[in-house]
Amino acid sequence: MAMADEHPVRKPNKPFYFNTSENLLRIGRQKASNVFELWQALQTCPDDSIFQHTFRTLQEHHFIRQGFSNDFAHWCLSACNEPVLAEQLASVDVREFTDIQGLRRRMVGIVDEFLQQHPQSGTKPAHEPFYFCASSIVVLPTQFAPDTLPGFTDGLRHVSLHSIHHHFIEARLRLHRMSNDFSNWLEQEVGLTQAAESIERIDIYTNTMEGVRHQIASIVEQTLN
Amino acid sequence: MKAEKQPATIADSTTGSHSEAQAAENTGGIVSPESVPTERRAKPRPLPASVLTPPPPAPSPRLDDYRDIIGEAQVDALRFLARDLKGKSIKMVNSTAVGGGVAEMLNQLVPLLRELEVETHWDVITGGNDFFEVTKAFHNALQGSDYNLTQHARDIFLMHNEQNRNRLEFSEDFIVIHDPQPAALIRARKESPQRWIWRCHIDLSSPNPDVWGFLRPFIEQYDAAIFSSQSFARQLPIPQYLFYPCIDPLSEKNKDIDDSFVQHVCDEFGIDRSRPIVTQVSRFDRAKDPVGVVQAFKQARKYVDAQLVLAGGGASDDPEGAAVLKEVKEAVGDDKDIIILDLPPWCALEINALQRASTIIVQKSIREGFGLTVTEALWKGKPTIAGAVGGIPNQIIHKLTGALVHSVDGCAYQIRYLLTHPDFAAQLGQNGHEHVKENFLMSTNVRRWLLLLRILLAGGAK
Repeated sequence: MAMADEHPVRKPNKPFYFNTSENLLRIGRQKASNVFELWQALQTCPDDSIFQHTFRTLQEHHFIRQGFSNDFAHWCLSACNEPVLAEQLASVDVREFTDIQGLRRRMVGIVDEFLQQHPQSGTKPAHEPFYFCASSIVVLPTQFAPDTLPGFTDGLRHVSLHSIHHHFIEARLRLHRMSNDFSNWLEQEVGLTQAAESIERIDIYTNTMEGVRHQIASIVEQTLN
Repeated sequence: MKAEKQPATIADSTTGSHSEAQAAENTGGIVSPESVPTERRAKPRPLPASVLTPPPPAPSPRLDDYRDIIGEAQVDALRFLARDLKGKSIKMVNSTAVGGGVAEMLNQLVPLLRELEVETHWDVITGGNDFFEVTKAFHNALQGSDYNLTQHARDIFLMHNEQNRNRLEFSEDFIVIHDPQPAALIRARKESPQRWIWRCHIDLSSPNPDVWGFLRPFIEQYDAAIFSSQSFARQLPIPQYLFYPCIDPLSEKNKDIDDSFVQHVCDEFGIDRSRPIVTQVSRFDRAKDPVGVVQAFKQARKYVDAQLVLAGGGASDDPEGAAVLKEVKEAVGDDKDIIILDLPPWCALEINALQRASTIIVQKSIREGFGLTVTEALWKGKPTIAGAVGGIPNQIIHKLTGALVHSVDGCAYQIRYLLTHPDFAAQLGQNGHEHVKENFLMSTNVRRWLLLLRILLAGGAK
């Protein structure tokens, strides 16, 4: 983490408004009883189903440090006993995508390739179906709107993990760029380019969301010190 | 049978004592004080008072009571969510004011919504024995039992729903009808912005087609339906939402308790805390496979030292429960490390203590609703082994928040593994606790209700 040559910290022009998002699960109309049906449904399900089973499920399982990536991978392993496909799906990092269509194409592509290589696996019945769900999301303000770096770290330490997920993981779908709200603000408002980059590199798949919170706060505090 | 190794007492549900006939049936680790000669039996210990008489009802929790559990930010989020609902009113309608999971849930939910300034009313439908016999049959049929739906049963159902429609007022902004019994109250719907929600607490995955065919036209008139698991839902033309059942972390069953009380309960029941304790808490019901638990425990104990506690109820007031208990006793034989407790329903605090004393908790169900005993175990941070049925896979992610099993052999293996890998077991317990905190607490349910009301208010349904 090389932040020694970081630009001087400047007073932010705009506060960082910590928001949070709360979601309600809707049960979808589609389900898959084997890998082939998963492949079909992945192509036709609503965008918010893809979002739910990839981005959103990370929030619901924010406490798991390793071994959980997305619902599709988990189902392929636990219900279909297809570890190869599960590994391939699990290797997809949602943060490489700034829109759901790209993520959907990637998932469909992985299952498509697997079915071509293992056609006999396509119709093997799963132990239990995969039920496609979706989220209805409500974004809420919090009481934290800091306009200083110490205030920012204080807010970071006090907001809920839903807020961290909202700003750090889901943000790229809003920003349509490979970044997050924290890095964006630190870079644009405070001039902390390297800190912003360090934050963007945090691995969400080997950390709990609480761990992500601590790492972001540590990076900013190092800069302050 | 050595006196110092007698580990258990079994309490009669009403008196705490045993008849000679019952005593004669006892085998193995079940110790009936009257059945064993004085010189060969452990000195009977008085049972905790709460086992003998129901405790007074606990006061309803307040929102601020949850701050230490879910954090200030989450309580603030509830208040933010409720802000746009001020001035709106909601009516809950179900079929019973006391007893049963729905009434218990409403007793906790209604005061919390009121505290958030969402005006919440709760009405209970009335009906004669004929009505409740029909609705009980509907309840079982909707969960897959055979049933011959007659015109007479339809008429009784509709007549009592009509009487309740005339008796009750439906002037609130949101009307929430719980379960099938009052489902036909949707006929009271007026042409207004009023939203009607059907909250289904039962498993509709394989309903009797006649009964479901009769009820479905009513359900389709609602603005939204709520189910407890994805797998419990039906294909419907209205939006369907997922509300997991939940536990209250402040209830007697789940609140933090002093370790001295845990020790006291173990002492009373003859449980040795210096040795591993494997526990299943469930009524004596074949769906919970208590005999399978005994078999799995006996297999596992060839490799590891442990005691098994089967804490349940229902054997005294249910003929099938008594039969299952007898089967369990036979499976136990003369095994002194298996302790059977037939507890009355008000022993929430004792159950809490038994769960907290446990090294591992098992719920080896072969059929299950959502499985709230699993939720309770996970909340207490206990490594949990459970059958992969009903709503249990929503709670247990295999090898991440617990262990899912499909057989006696699988259960036996997981008992062995978790008892000999305490670090892994502790990690499962910790993850399980967080999973419950995120998804299965009463506060989460309050959040879901507020979200749903806001979404419906914004025209999110239909």
